[in-house]
Amino acid sequence: MKIVEIAKFTSLNRAPLVIEGYLFEGSDPEAPSVAVVGAMEGKNILPLYTASKLVDFLKNKIQNEDKIKGNILIIPSINSYALNINERFWPLDKTDINMMFPGYELGETTQRIAKKVFDAICGYNYGIILESRDDLSNCIPYVKLFKSGFEDIEGAKTFGFRLISHKELTPIDTVTLQYNWQLWETKAYSIICPNANQIDINSSNEIFEGIVQFLSKNGLIGYKVLNGFESTVATQDEVEIVKAPKSGIFITTRKEGTCVSKDDVIGQIVHSLNGEIIYNFLAPCNGMIVCCYKNGLILEGTLTFRLIGSG
Amino acid sequence: MQVKEIFSSQLPVGETLSIKRSRFEPFKKSDNLKRISIVSGTHGDELEGQYAIYLLTSWLSENPDAISGIIDIYPAVNALGIDTITRGFPLYEVDLNRVFPGGEDGFLPGQLVHALVQDVKGSDIAIDIHSSNIFLREIPQIRINKEFSNSTLPLAKELNCDFIWIHDAVTVLEATFSHTMNSLGTKTLVVEMGVGMRVTKEYGKQLLCGMLNLMKKEGIITTEKSFEAREPFLSEVGEVFYLNSPSSGLFVPALDHCAIIKKNEKIGTIVEPLTGTVLDTLYAPNGGILFTLREFPVVYEGSLLARIFGEKDR
Ligand SMILES: [Zn+2]
Repeated sequence: MKIVEIAKFTSLNRAPLVIEGYLFEGSDPEAPSVAVVGAMEGKNILPLYTASKLVDFLKNKIQNEDKIKGNILIIPSINSYALNINERFWPLDKTDINMMFPGYELGETTQRIAKKVFDAICGYNYGIILESRDDLSNCIPYVKLFKSGFEDIEGAKTFGFRLISHKELTPIDTVTLQYNWQLWETKAYSIICPNANQIDINSSNEIFEGIVQFLSKNGLIGYKVLNGFESTVATQDEVEIVKAPKSGIFITTRKEGTCVSKDDVIGQIVHSLNGEIIYNFLAPCNGMIVCCYKNGLILEGTLTFRLIGSG
Repeated sequence: MQVKEIFSSQLPVGETLSIKRSRFEPFKKSDNLKRISIVSGTHGDELEGQYAIYLLTSWLSENPDAISGIIDIYPAVNALGIDTITRGFPLYEVDLNRVFPGGEDGFLPGQLVHALVQDVKGSDIAIDIHSSNIFLREIPQIRINKEFSNSTLPLAKELNCDFIWIHDAVTVLEATFSHTMNSLGTKTLVVEMGVGMRVTKEYGKQLLCGMLNLMKKEGIITTEKSFEAREPFLSEVGEVFYLNSPSSGLFVPALDHCAIIKKNEKIGTIVEPLTGTVLDTLYAPNGGILFTLREFPVVYEGSLLARIFGEKDR
């Protein structure tokens, strides 16, 4: 394994931002290659942890170097300036690095960062992007693929997650890493991690095992693992949404990942001053809650639950 | 004048977020009145539009007889952001001008912009007033997407701005208010002027004059008063030159915003206070007008320092 410097940016007072990649060179020249991108945002705690855990796994746990067949590049952190101060975006201008691809070497700071990262990861056969949702909700870990015309659903199934979200491409998606990576012929997948500020060991393990399974099934490592789920591919039309008709204190009684029956109480809104329960959320169908609003205070109109129906 | 709430959401503890519109219309109502919508405050840290709109609503209040069309005013699309110095929609940290056209079943910021689109829809003209951001100061200018320039350029020339910047279509900008409204048949202009978190009084007055001039030409106001629009320079007759910072440090400008400069003239320095070192000295890549100048002094490598509009040196 060697550590490669992908980019270095200085700051007026802070120590330089150094973006490092951990490169594991494979033993089989015929094997495919993969690059894994961790935290692009400062709140991407789980992406950071999962990527760094993968480095540890490949370096220390997999035993024999021969087991690494294809080249594997892992970039655990891109936006450490934001991670270190619990900011979400680039701390000065609040721009999102994942809206700057393919990057521009003569542009703004985050365009330059995106360009350096993109140059380092271009040409890999597979690309894994660890992200989290941007809408204050937590979901079961899933693979997000844009309907870009280049997406690889069959490959996405080899992670063995329950869910693959096959999403319409919107204008802002055209500046994401996933879309641009695909345009440049890398089979790229975004893994959506829960948004937590603390490490949830269960979902972290699920994501980690999914990536190991992917590496194994696609011939990147010679390492046997138990199979995951047979993934369900869902489009937006197949998702049932539940909105909050009132505001107040929000309590979930059924979390993401639980199966529910129609009309089960899945959450409550409590009046924030008098403490009375002012609303019960009912499941709109039989199925699984895949996504759930994560804050304790809720605004009227908030998209609170997403379910995928069964039956 | 009547005020209407176009979107509301109860907040968790005893407060309601309300997005409001005021409507000015003639005493004698009739069908087929022309309608203009003036929108601002999509970015909560941009306040130039607040003042320009205040000048307009106070003019309309003082001259009710002049009103011969419908004038809809939406000063604070991101009302919560304006009152909290937050550029994006608070909590979600999302840029509202990247979530258009939104939808009823989307996340909350998407519901808000959807409500705005539904309300503005049907207007003949819309003006979306921005003020750059907290980092850059801009000369009053109109930004126009080439795709819609046939219908919007003639209107832009009436707005008394200094510069009209016609840019190519960029997919990501399809998520903006202006692209959405232009696609729905409302001729929409984007004004960028001044700087974030501040009000530049002369720019407010300049734009007021432009808005009144445009409305008079379009028959939305009828008055003896005359308003003159200055002749803007068009981006197509020259070129925009960008100057990005080559290093990180403190930017100290050597020139005033809007200065007419020559090629190789000194624009400023990047310095390091700790050691008294000048890290870089910046020179104009081309002669022309310094229409964008960095206001916020802390820079990183890549931070935009200045934009110059001029004829390409031969
Ligand atoms: Zn703006």
